[in-house]
Amino acid sequence: MTSSPENKITRSDLVKSAVNVGALGMEFSWTYYKQMNIAFCLMVANMLKKIYAGRPDDYAEALHRHCAFFNITVQFAPFVGGIAMAMEEKVARGEIEPESVNDVKAALMGPLSGIGDSIFLSTLRVVAAAVGISLCQAGNPFGPIAFLLIYNVPGFALRVWGAVKGYELGVGFLDEAQRTGLMQKIMTCVGIVGVMVVGAMCKDMFWASIPVAIGSGEDAQTLQDILDGIMPGMLGMIAFWLYYWLLSKKINPMVLIVATMVVGIIGAFFGVLA
Amino acid sequence: MLVQAILVGLVGAFGCLDYQLGTLYAFRPIVLCPLVGLVLGDLQTGLAVGASLELLFMGSISIGAYVPPNETVGGVLACAFAIQLGQGTETAIALAMPIAVLSLTIGNITDAGFSIIVDIADKCAAKGNLKGIYAAHWSMGLFGCLEYFLLCGGAFYLGSDAIQGLLDFIPTFVIDGCGVAANILPAMGFAMLGRLVLTKQLVPFYFLGFLLCSYANVPVLGVALIAIIIGIDKFDLLGLGGAQPQLSAEGDEDDDF
Repeated sequence: MTSSPENKITRSDLVKSAVNVGALGMEFSWTYYKQMNIAFCLMVANMLKKIYAGRPDDYAEALHRHCAFFNITVQFAPFVGGIAMAMEEKVARGEIEPESVNDVKAALMGPLSGIGDSIFLSTLRVVAAAVGISLCQAGNPFGPIAFLLIYNVPGFALRVWGAVKGYELGVGFLDEAQRTGLMQKIMTCVGIVGVMVVGAMCKDMFWASIPVAIGSGEDAQTLQDILDGIMPGMLGMIAFWLYYWLLSKKINPMVLIVATMVVGIIGAFFGVLA
Repeated sequence: MLVQAILVGLVGAFGCLDYQLGTLYAFRPIVLCPLVGLVLGDLQTGLAVGASLELLFMGSISIGAYVPPNETVGGVLACAFAIQLGQGTETAIALAMPIAVLSLTIGNITDAGFSIIVDIADKCAAKGNLKGIYAAHWSMGLFGCLEYFLLCGGAFYLGSDAIQGLLDFIPTFVIDGCGVAANILPAMGFAMLGRLVLTKQLVPFYFLGFLLCSYANVPVLGVALIAIIIGIDKFDLLGLGGAQPQLSAEGDEDDDF
């Protein structure tokens, strides 16, 4: 699926589509109903106009086609846009059925959202937040800026690269990636980074302690000192697995938050938690 | 006071506008609370509250079917009240979650109304009317910004006295208890993340991350960088050859345990 002389979309069209109002506003007009459908349509509208130049009816039909339900990790949207435009060129030449474009888009949503959410939301965002939070806690106003840069620079790179690459690769890419196991490898790699960061944060970003004194006079130690002597940050890890277990029992997070507040208030009242 | 309320409202509106800027995650407390601090003249409290609330809402991301409480309105208002009333992070934490849940409810109501505009956009598309689709996009998004502006600015303008009364009424150990809860709750956020990414195959790596931080005091960013190297090495992503890792057997273990 390489570019043929009849192709109308240029590299600069694709790059523009990766950062236009639609591509960046994927969640601006988000609804439960059709989610990112309007933004997706706006993202590809100019390219559709080019592909269907001088064919207003086909253009309107294509616009309408791309107003269908759409949802994805936002940084991957231009990639899907690129693939869809490679297909639209074929539709315009009558080589494939128009319906197949939306079938492919729908098929891409699941796997790409899965990989995208694990890269961006549960890994990169967490690393960015960890760095930003540490800086903020030290009173450093660079904290929020560091958070935004770490989270977004890779995202914008992926948007631009994705639009161009998606168009070049066309529909074949995902099958290829799944067949060779590349997708699985990337998912596992991202998973390793994600869980190691979560593990580290259980130690670094958990501050509750048990200041109950054990012994008296000179030898007095708090329970916290003893726990930290065995394994620093042990409480955070225990709390993590306790919550993990409770969540696996399908207990609503809101219930757990309220319960934690109650435990905190009781603990503060008796001075056993701080 | 009115000027301050407008500024707080604008910070909230900016949080919503972030969805047009590419979902930069600038709508998170870690970005908005320092901004609130800036406009109310107490950047340091803003930074401290931002850090605490970011952790409180760590697991609050819209993945799958779970729609999280509105951390944007919750974060902005809780931080604004805490600064306005001369309180610290404990107060902000006690206020943030109830406000966030309430704003989620209000947001759900407007979302239902937006379905009409989505249908109008659909009709415009069928006629090839691109301007109509743009109009739908901007009207929905900007209405959201207006909603955030009114919620944040309005509640801040009208609510300070009520919140002050509430705080006078609540005993100190309750506020302290909320502070304790805020020290514990990050673990819940991490557990929610864990529920998304943790598989049997990955459990050892959770402990590796924890132990590196616990015994070797490696900071979180350092752990992340080490993790990347492990990932590259394990799957030979640089393609340098060597023993091919056994992938096939482990591929199906993504289910919960």
